[in-house]
Amino acid sequence: MIEEIARSIDRIIDETEAAARAARTSDELEEVRRRALGRRGALAGLFGRLAALPEADRPQAGARLNQARTRLQTLLEARAAELGAHVSAARFEAERLDVTLPGRRGPVGRRHVLRRTLEEIERIFVGLGFEVVEGPEIEQEEFNFNRLNMPSDHAARDSQDSFYVTDDLMLRTHTTVVDAHVMVGRTPPIRVLTSGRCYRRDAVDATHMPVFHQVDGFMVGAGITFADLKGVLTTFAREMFGPQARTRFQPGYFPFTEPSAELAVRFEGRWLELGGCGMFHPRVLEVAGIDPERYTAFAFGLGIDRPAMVRFGIPDIRLFWENDLRLLEQF
Amino acid sequence: MRVPLAWLREFVDIDETVDALAERLPMLGLGIDGIEGAGADAVFDLEIAANRPDLLSLVGIAREIAAWTRREVRLPPDDLAVGGAPARSVAAVEIADPGRCARYVAHVITGVRVSPSPAHIAARLEAAGIRPINNVVDATNYAMLEWGQPLHAFDLETLEGRRIVVRAARPGESLVTLDGVPRPLDPSVLVIADARRPVALAGIIGGAATEIAPVTTTVLLEAASFQAAAIRRAARALGLRTEASTRFERGVDPEGTMRAARRGAALVVELAGGTVLRGAVDVYPVRVRRRAITLRLARIPRLLGVEVPAEEVIAILRRLGLEVRARGKTVRAIPPVGRRDLEREEDLIEEVARHWGYERIPEALPVEVVQQGRRAPSIEAEAAARDALIRAGLTEALTVSLVTPRLLDRLGVAPDDPWRRQVPVRNPLTADHTHLRSCLLPGLLEAVRANVSRRREAVHIFEIGRVFRAAPAAPEERKALAIALRGPWGAGAWAAGGGDREVTFFHLRGALDVLAAELRAGELALEAGGPRWLHPGRAARVLLDGTPLGVAGELHPDAAARFDLPGRTYVVELDLEAVLARAILQPRFLGVPRFPAVRRDVAVVAPEDLPHAAVVTVLRETAGELLESIELFDVYAGPPLPPGTRNLAYALSFRARDRTLTGEEVDGVMAHIHAALPERLPITIRT
Repeated sequence: MIEEIARSIDRIIDETEAAARAARTSDELEEVRRRALGRRGALAGLFGRLAALPEADRPQAGARLNQARTRLQTLLEARAAELGAHVSAARFEAERLDVTLPGRRGPVGRRHVLRRTLEEIERIFVGLGFEVVEGPEIEQEEFNFNRLNMPSDHAARDSQDSFYVTDDLMLRTHTTVVDAHVMVGRTPPIRVLTSGRCYRRDAVDATHMPVFHQVDGFMVGAGITFADLKGVLTTFAREMFGPQARTRFQPGYFPFTEPSAELAVRFEGRWLELGGCGMFHPRVLEVAGIDPERYTAFAFGLGIDRPAMVRFGIPDIRLFWENDLRLLEQF
Repeated sequence: MRVPLAWLREFVDIDETVDALAERLPMLGLGIDGIEGAGADAVFDLEIAANRPDLLSLVGIAREIAAWTRREVRLPPDDLAVGGAPARSVAAVEIADPGRCARYVAHVITGVRVSPSPAHIAARLEAAGIRPINNVVDATNYAMLEWGQPLHAFDLETLEGRRIVVRAARPGESLVTLDGVPRPLDPSVLVIADARRPVALAGIIGGAATEIAPVTTTVLLEAASFQAAAIRRAARALGLRTEASTRFERGVDPEGTMRAARRGAALVVELAGGTVLRGAVDVYPVRVRRRAITLRLARIPRLLGVEVPAEEVIAILRRLGLEVRARGKTVRAIPPVGRRDLEREEDLIEEVARHWGYERIPEALPVEVVQQGRRAPSIEAEAAARDALIRAGLTEALTVSLVTPRLLDRLGVAPDDPWRRQVPVRNPLTADHTHLRSCLLPGLLEAVRANVSRRREAVHIFEIGRVFRAAPAAPEERKALAIALRGPWGAGAWAAGGGDREVTFFHLRGALDVLAAELRAGELALEAGGPRWLHPGRAARVLLDGTPLGVAGELHPDAAARFDLPGRTYVVELDLEAVLARAILQPRFLGVPRFPAVRRDVAVVAPEDLPHAAVVTVLRETAGELLESIELFDVYAGPPLPPGTRNLAYALSFRARDRTLTGEEVDGVMAHIHAALPERLPITIRT
């Protein structure tokens, strides 16, 4: 009886092995599996006959059946793997790509190179604890000039030839005017930075536009000195132009600062003029309601367009405004 | 200011090489515009600050160099031989406008012989950038360059009544100036007149009728101090800039007028012979005193961040010509004649800083209360908008904010459009920059045109910037956004098969959707209709939560043609400020759904002119709160649909926050939708 079962097992294994080898698809193989191992399959039939065996033979027969099942499963899995590999290989061959064909891209947007420069500067000063604010481009003459210690007929107004829209409204000639607004009503310490468009009646040429960009910042406090001004602007220059950047502070003249300095940074073997700076003139603090005996302040104004020309090697300022995508896409 | 080194050496010893000077002068505040020649023949072209009229003179520059090299300054000689009758017996001076003329000194020199100057004098003047004229005029210019005080020589015989009157020009008066130009005058211009008529524009230029001529024998030599503002205004109004006006505009100290007058008179005699009559006529109604300035030594480190020893402070100020008295912890200093820029303590501290050396001031970092840097919310919002558009694939452009109304004509903007309320600039520089822009789009289209003219096909650009609009009180200024799209979208067309490559209206809409979504600014909607410069069938008004804030659409072919744009261009202009005001930049986590969604599709056949938005509105209103999203996934027109209709297919997603929805629940909602849609809209449901 038990031998009969053993023979049946061998037969099932042989037949299944042959059928599995003959199967060409996973569906065919599944049919083979179902016939051998399915709920009504050959092996299940042998398990059903265990009950008819003498009690003593049952454990041995059961063990052999279990071994047979494991073996069949292994055999079928091996064949399934073979079949799978075969199918994949065919599919992969059919799906072969020319990987050297060019890529497909959606458009990649970019910041304007001047905006990128402005944001870079803002980021540096935010890191130095400055609060970035903005102000209008149409300004009161009172703030643009008078409150910055440039009364009517001041000679310094000549270098800031201005556009007017009414008797007392003009297009701001410098972002320093925002400082004059921001200081009013605030209590030091104050650290503020602003940036934006400014306007001067300059004829268009390779280095001049009637519209240009500036960044302006100032710091008011009980112990702010010219040394702090040098420290902050040199830190800025190193962030912007690299850790080896050297700065140069030369005496200059601005009606709203005293002492005043011109700031330049060494860049690719030449001095690149960045802008003006100095200690706020006491009169500027006074008109803003800040006691110049108690507080001192430094201020600086940086040009954006011309330093950006030098930094990026752009030969003509007009290129910033032409919006030639061949230029914009390089930044 | 052109400064010949050899001439400068008359006033101060200079051993330093040209290179050493070139390096040091800027550190003293004397910018160098250029250097001509070499060695002893070098001529420095110096850039002089607006507040330093004293540096428009050799003496002033010599003083700066002397203070740096710690040497003494040699002033020009002051000796003047006089003789004959008193000057006031042959000439009279009246200042009728003392507000604009503080002092007028007139020397009279008789018996001069006018001829060309000796070669060395002429050469010096030329090196300094002044054309030699004749020995008398050259003498005045020579003295001016030494002292910085402009002088003027009249032929006394040509002065009616031998009289000088400093007064406002009278209406209708005019003067032919030395350059031969007849100039009509008005009372804003201060003139030097004789008894009858103007003979010179005060502080600017002389008149042709009274100039020194070959026959001149008697000279009235003027040295005066005019109000800086008056000269500046007049020079600008007349469009004249002369050596004299350049100096007077910055302020010429009346206290220095006499010494320069004496030097000038001595030089006239030296070069042209003659006799200086005794006692110059000197009208100086109110003497301008020099004031002492108190400098607290403790204030120096407060402002500079560096200690400068008291003896150094005093030495620097003395070498610059100040009269200094030390009083314990303060210093009282009287500036020299010509240094009217020195008014208060800070001015003296700057002098100390300059000559102590800016480079010797250390670099420190402020030890103020630590403050967290940040950007103002309005700037953050603008940056977020820019970021969203860049991530949507658009490139930022910047266009000039000064424009001409012709740009609006080119676009075809209606006469009554608010964009026509442009703010004019009162004093434009050029004909194409006469107004402030009221919108960004025309400028942006110019940028598109420039790119298209360079055979660029894909142009996807935007600008964020200020626009201005005239208003009764004051011009309004707001942030705006404009977008222009045309040509292929993306690269790698070989695989795309052509058809879908071109930008469409819906790419434009997509960019707007991205903007609204990224800023979480609210519900963006477009409704048909728009200005006449848009394609009538492809024009839309843009609304944000129901508020109109701009227009979008395909540029009208006529407008496109006026910008030389073939094909289709899609454009938007928005009041960005309204969007930014609604932006939420610090979102809160809304959670992620814990239960699965159930999808149901619904397709409707609708008249072609029924907007998608109308269908969505009814779907929203009838679907109830289980509805999570509506996605349009197909639009189809054509057989077998009746002509004039189209099929719109939507995928609706339903979800409950607290449980897994059953099919029956959703089927109930769908039944409601199926019933409501045909009731409220002229459509049929496709099943």
